[in-house]
Amino acid sequence: MSAARPTLQVTKLAKWFGSVVALSDVSFDVGPGVTALLGPNGAGKSTLFRILCGLANPSQGTVRIFGEDPRANPAIARRIGIAPQQERLFERQTIVEFVTLAAILHRLSDPAAAAARAIETVEMDPADKRPLSAYSKGMRQRVKLAQALVHDPELLVLDEPLEGLDPRQRLRAIELFGRLGQEGRTVVVSSHVLDEVERFGSRILVIAQGRLVAEGPFSAIRDLMDDRPRHLRVGTDRPPALAAGLLSSEVANGAHVKDGWIEVETSDAPAFRRRVAGVARDCDARLLEVIALDEDLESVFAYLVGGR
Amino acid sequence: MSTALAANPGLRLWSVLTSSIATRARLLALGALGLGAVLLGVGVRVANPTDRAQAAWSVVNGYGLSLLVPVVALVFASASLGDPSEDGTLVYLWLRPVPRWQLALSAFAASVTVVAPIAVAPLVVGAAVTGTGWRLVASSAAGGMLATVAYSAVFCGLGLRVRRALAWGLAYLLIWEEAVARISHGAARVSLFVSTRSLAASIARHTPPPRNSVSAVTGLVFPLVVTVVALAVTARSLDRGEVT
Repeated sequence: MSAARPTLQVTKLAKWFGSVVALSDVSFDVGPGVTALLGPNGAGKSTLFRILCGLANPSQGTVRIFGEDPRANPAIARRIGIAPQQERLFERQTIVEFVTLAAILHRLSDPAAAAARAIETVEMDPADKRPLSAYSKGMRQRVKLAQALVHDPELLVLDEPLEGLDPRQRLRAIELFGRLGQEGRTVVVSSHVLDEVERFGSRILVIAQGRLVAEGPFSAIRDLMDDRPRHLRVGTDRPPALAAGLLSSEVANGAHVKDGWIEVETSDAPAFRRRVAGVARDCDARLLEVIALDEDLESVFAYLVGGR
Repeated sequence: MSTALAANPGLRLWSVLTSSIATRARLLALGALGLGAVLLGVGVRVANPTDRAQAAWSVVNGYGLSLLVPVVALVFASASLGDPSEDGTLVYLWLRPVPRWQLALSAFAASVTVVAPIAVAPLVVGAAVTGTGWRLVASSAAGGMLATVAYSAVFCGLGLRVRRALAWGLAYLLIWEEAVARISHGAARVSLFVSTRSLAASIARHTPPPRNSVSAVTGLVFPLVVTVVALAVTARSLDRGEVT
């Protein structure tokens, strides 16, 4: 992954609130390019982001950005752009006022021009005179992105930046992150949506229950997830016959009929999907549908956590 | 505002925080409280009681300095950093290369900017319409402004540090300033209300001097020291604390 000196170094990071442990023993390095932080809601992603940006103190461990402690050196903010998760903005301001404020506080020489550029980068209209209170969730996301980009930072920390965007906007945002990464910036993006992260085509850090449970390129993480046992429900007009056929053909580790459906356990879901139609044909059964029972991300994370 | 001023970070912070605390609801509710001072002044003038000077002083002391200014300062100052801290927008000010003291000072200035016209101006008008002379008007202006400055500094920090700052601030005003400091001479020495009232009484040449008073010099210096210390503590909280 990274260049000679990582942009971001996290070492044995822990954070707790009273008796609640939000992060535990998290260590990783991040260099230029796009890195996705994947985890379910409540996994500790936002807490981690807040510590990365210096908004919160770690209970243990260290964070270094460009080799410096972000809490000890507020000037490091010149090199960081953050889009936080919360939606609230300065509601009475217009988009240009909001982004220009960020440019002024960063002491840019031409705040108005920088703001206009950033707003256009996120495909918004600098001439829009509506207050931000009138903006939809997707528009707010783009406003947050614009203020994070306005000072041309080397490190971008974006907390769930795709939430609320429509499919076209998501695609454009993902392209933008990719472009920023290719320009040599370090872009750290959090998400709880697996498919979304796949499209970043990037290195992934998987966080669950406050721990870093996996890291690497997306393909490796995907393989790890695909290796776990899966439970599927199969609809057919001949459940007992198809269940017997699935067991005898060894595409299923277990199968039983329940309420007219077959519930199947398999250790190779892709192979099962490829072969189930053929087995049904051999059994003279009509295949109605195949539904994954544990395809949700929570179960994936539970598997990864359990596997550690 | 000229372009150079508009691009000044400190002025921008002040402008943003001023507009964020000056909500319509707050302005209407606390504007009505301010109007009370004017109406009381008119009442004194119309009723023309035997001891009109004492009645006029009660408007400044009993209403203006003990209720109007502290409460208005509490509402606006605690909101100046408390609101953005609670709704998460403080991030957009904090995560910039801006010195923390500048952020604290801007919040304080925003509070004073709003409190002065909402609380001090009507108090001065109320004192003027009693028709008891320029000294009472000057004392209400000086006492009101000093109280505005000191309470704003204290409540800015309170809003940043605690949730439900209004409740904590009211408890402080009622228990310490209105009860303990009125009873105990020792406590009166470290009371903002007693200090500002003493200064105002000195300017108004109010006789007899209020019970549990301090000298005019102490009445001036103590609130200013409190102001500086409170701003330093707020800046330190911004520097060391966690931002929501």
